[in-house]
Formats: sequence, structure tokens, C-alpha cells
Amino acid sequence: MTEWWDYGLADFLLFSPRVYYRLFETMNSVWWMAVLAAFVAGLVAAGMAMRHGHRGNRVILVLLSLIWAWASYGFVWQYYQPINWAVAYILPGFVIEVLLLLVFAARPLPLRFGWRGDLTSYVGAAIMVVAIVIYPFVGLLEGRDLIQAELFGSAADPTALGTLGFVLMARGTWRWLLLPVPLIWCAFAAATLWVMDQQIAYVMLIAVWLTIFSGWLDLKNGVTTRRLTKAELADPPPISD
Amino acid sequence: MSEIDRRRFMQGAGAIGLSASLGGLMPGVAQGALRKDVPDIIRKQVPSTGEAIPAVGLGSWITFNVGNDMALRDQCADVVSAFFNAGGRMIDSSPMYGSAQEVIGYCLDKLGAHDRVFSTDKVWTSGDGLDQISETRKRWNTRKFDLLQVHNLLGINDNLPLLFRLKNEGQLRYVGVTTSHGRRTEDLIAVMKNERLDFVQVTYNPVDRKVEEYLLPLAYDRGIAVIVNRPFRGGSLLDQLEGEPLPEFAAELEVESWAQLILKYLIAHPSVTCPIPATTNPAHAAENMRAATGRLPDDKMREQIAAVIGVLI
Repeated sequence: MTEWWDYGLADFLLFSPRVYYRLFETMNSVWWMAVLAAFVAGLVAAGMAMRHGHRGNRVILVLLSLIWAWASYGFVWQYYQPINWAVAYILPGFVIEVLLLLVFAARPLPLRFGWRGDLTSYVGAAIMVVAIVIYPFVGLLEGRDLIQAELFGSAADPTALGTLGFVLMARGTWRWLLLPVPLIWCAFAAATLWVMDQQIAYVMLIAVWLTIFSGWLDLKNGVTTRRLTKAELADPPPISD
Repeated sequence: MSEIDRRRFMQGAGAIGLSASLGGLMPGVAQGALRKDVPDIIRKQVPSTGEAIPAVGLGSWITFNVGNDMALRDQCADVVSAFFNAGGRMIDSSPMYGSAQEVIGYCLDKLGAHDRVFSTDKVWTSGDGLDQISETRKRWNTRKFDLLQVHNLLGINDNLPLLFRLKNEGQLRYVGVTTSHGRRTEDLIAVMKNERLDFVQVTYNPVDRKVEEYLLPLAYDRGIAVIVNRPFRGGSLLDQLEGEPLPEFAAELEVESWAQLILKYLIAHPSVTCPIPATTNPAHAAENMRAATGRLPDDKMREQIAAVIGVLI
């Protein structure tokens, strides 16, 4: 008799693109102040992450934690979950991500964000720019209104996408722990968008692939496993790190 | 399955309860209040009881999953209003369809139409079916369903006995099972042969015709009503036919659109009780219902319809 694995991907598309993009329109209209605040917080965090210094690392992590908390409750739970019951099974992952970001912020040696000039930095910065600056406005090219923009900080897809970039811009042990939840969400989002025939799905898939590839490169080069010293926290590491 | 007497099977078209009358049926786009008079349309009998139901229903997959968006919920209510005003009764949903059940409940509450609907839903769980049915009742804001079906045969060993028990206790009128996309045909046939089902729901349209070979004759032979899902292949069939002129013979059937031609093709099959097209457009809901009026195609014309559509897509 029929079991769960008999279903195809298209069977789980339960809503139309019209309804999906109306979610952002409604949220942006009702919660516009919170949406703007979260977007600005994301911009600030991205600006700080690109700098090459030791200050602000904890602030970035706290801002990301707040953003994930808001995106989880505001968008995913209040708006998305009613039309997509599968989201309820992923939502605990969002809570875990919020807690992990706070734990990393509270660590004696937090992650260190900054431009290092290596491949991982390029990939991380590119993903952040796409998530914060480009992704929200792709809909305009497809004829959707600005009010339906999926903004980093509130909409789950660009938030998860951008977080991949933030993690790639960071150094410090155990940082990979911050990757599974956004990676899983990006894969989930890519599948949803692909079934809805939305070309932006490929952006999510490429970002997932680049993140895994960059993470593997870092692991291979010993970057991921090397613990930051107090001296490194005080002084910027060399560009060629 | 016993060999089915094809002549008796096809003669059944007359006996299965076709009754058409065209009495002034042009409902247009109904908004707001429901009409009290119900247009005369083609009805087909549920073999297990002889109850006659309108030959076109309303599906809710994707179209009614609009979440908490009140503007879209009101649009759904307009669709339901147009559907009822055009003589429709059966509305089908599933726990799988996101917020669709809750939205149907909203529409029925808003229109005060709980007494107009032939309520059709499903149980879709490998867990506690009774819990899910209880939740489904709450979402529809109804105490008793006309028909509950085991969705895609999931958990059928537990859920089918549960549905029969509810029927025996008077909490349910009809019991059925569903499949879609032609899945699990062998399992479905086994259930149809071994259980006293009232309804079965399958995918059928002029392109996906596999059920004609065995399943529809079996349903007729076993006295099982047939609900047809995906009559337009989730809308893609109509998209492919868009802009194509209707064949000349369609004028004989008084159809205005490909949607009506396809629905007439389905309704005319003696085993089919009720296709359930889904739509977000009130005008389309009314147009679909108008397929259950006027002449229906005979066997030869049905073959022509399938052939023409097969060439065009």
C-alpha cells in the first residue's frame, strides 16, 4: 500500500506562486517597521562582517540571532506555516540556529568575521551581496510589485542564504555548526521554487554547492579546525590566511 | 474481476441516473449571497444508495490553500458562491492540502451554506486517523461528513475499518478511497474487489485514460461511484489548449470552452459520477458547472474528443 516515499516532489507543492508571493506582500504591509529594522540590522551586520577587525564579532552574531528569531516567528510561523505544513517540521531547526548563534556570541573566543582575500571570502561576500542586495528585488524583473520583495532579515530564503555568506566570512572552531540549518532550508526552498517553476531556485542550489565546496576547502587547508589565539583576536590575521 | 458485459456496462449510461434539463441555467459570476433556487443540471446516482448528486464538483488542491490572507479567502468564498449558484454541491479537500479545509469552512460559514454542500474529505495519515478526522471536522466547522476517503491508500489497513465503523455508527454517510496520477492501481483494484466501497477517486481525463481499461468497468460492476481528480491535469491541459479553436462537433454539445468539452467527456462515461475541477476564478466555477447541462457526447464523439486533444497537446 502507499507509503510516503511513493510521493513525488510536485505532490507536496500545495500552493500557487500567487499565494506564495502574497505572503511577503501581507507581511511587508503589516509589519513594515519590523521588516525594515531587520533589513537594516542585516546591512549593519554585513558591513561589520566585511571589515577586517576584531571588534563587533559578538554584535554580528547577536544581530543574526535576532534576525533568525524574527524570521522564524514572523514569517515562517505566522505566514508560511499555514499554507505549508511541512514547515512545522523544519521550524525547530530555526530555533536551534537562534540558540547556536547566541552560544557562539557568548563564547570566550567568538567567531572572527572579516575579509581575508581567499576563495572562501569571495564566495561568502558574494552570497551575502546576493542575499541582501539582489535576491529581494529579483521579483521586480519578473513583474512583481516592490511590496512583495523578499527582504533579508524577515523572509526565510534570503535570510538563510545570507547566513551561509556570513559563516563563510567567519573564522574559528566549530563554525560549521551554523551551516546545517541554513543549508537544509536553502535546499528545501530550492525544491519549492523549482516545483513552482521559479528560476531563482538555481541561485539557492548554487549557493548551497559553493558553501559546501568552500567549507571543504577550508577543512582541507586546516582553517576550520585551527583554534583562534587571543593574539589573533587582538590583531588582524594576515590577508593570505 | 468477473468478465464485464460491455453491452450491459454501456447500456448503464441510461440507467445510472442521467437527468438533464436546461431550465434557464446561466448563473454568471455570482458574488455574495446564494440563490435559493438551484438550477436543474445533470445529476448522477451514487450506486450504493441511489442518491443523485450534481455531475460536477469542486476540488480544492492548491486553489483553496490561501492561509490567513483574508482577501484571498473572500475570493475563495466567491468561487464557492458561484459554484453553488450554478447548482454544484460536492466540495472535496484533504488534510494534505494545507489550509484548504479551514478556508472551505470559512467559505461555508460566510455563505451560510453548510446545508448546501456535499462534504467530501479524506483521512491521510499513518497515525491516528480518528484524531485527524476530528481536526478535519473542526476546520470545516461540521459535525458529519457526507464522504470520507482514505487518501492515496495511506494507512488503509487502519483507516478503512475506521471509516466503516464511523459509517455504521451514523457519523458518516459514505466511505471511499483515492489515488491520483495513476499510482498504485493494483492495490486500488484489490481494495475495490474486496471492500464494499461507496466511492473511489481516480485521475482521469482525455489524455490519462488508463482507468478506462479496467478500473472504471470494475467500479461499474461493483456499484462504486467514481470521483475524477485532475480532470485538467492540474490546469496544464487547459494551458496547452489555450488559443486552439474548439472542434466543429463541439457546437452540437453546446460547449463554450475546452474545459466544458473535457468535463462533458468525463461526465458522459457511465462509470463516472463527478469530476472535481479546481479553480480560483468564480466565472470558471460557473462555467465548469454548465458542463453538466445539455447534450453529452456519445461513445463516438468521446473518442473524437480524446483524439483531437491528443493531437493538439
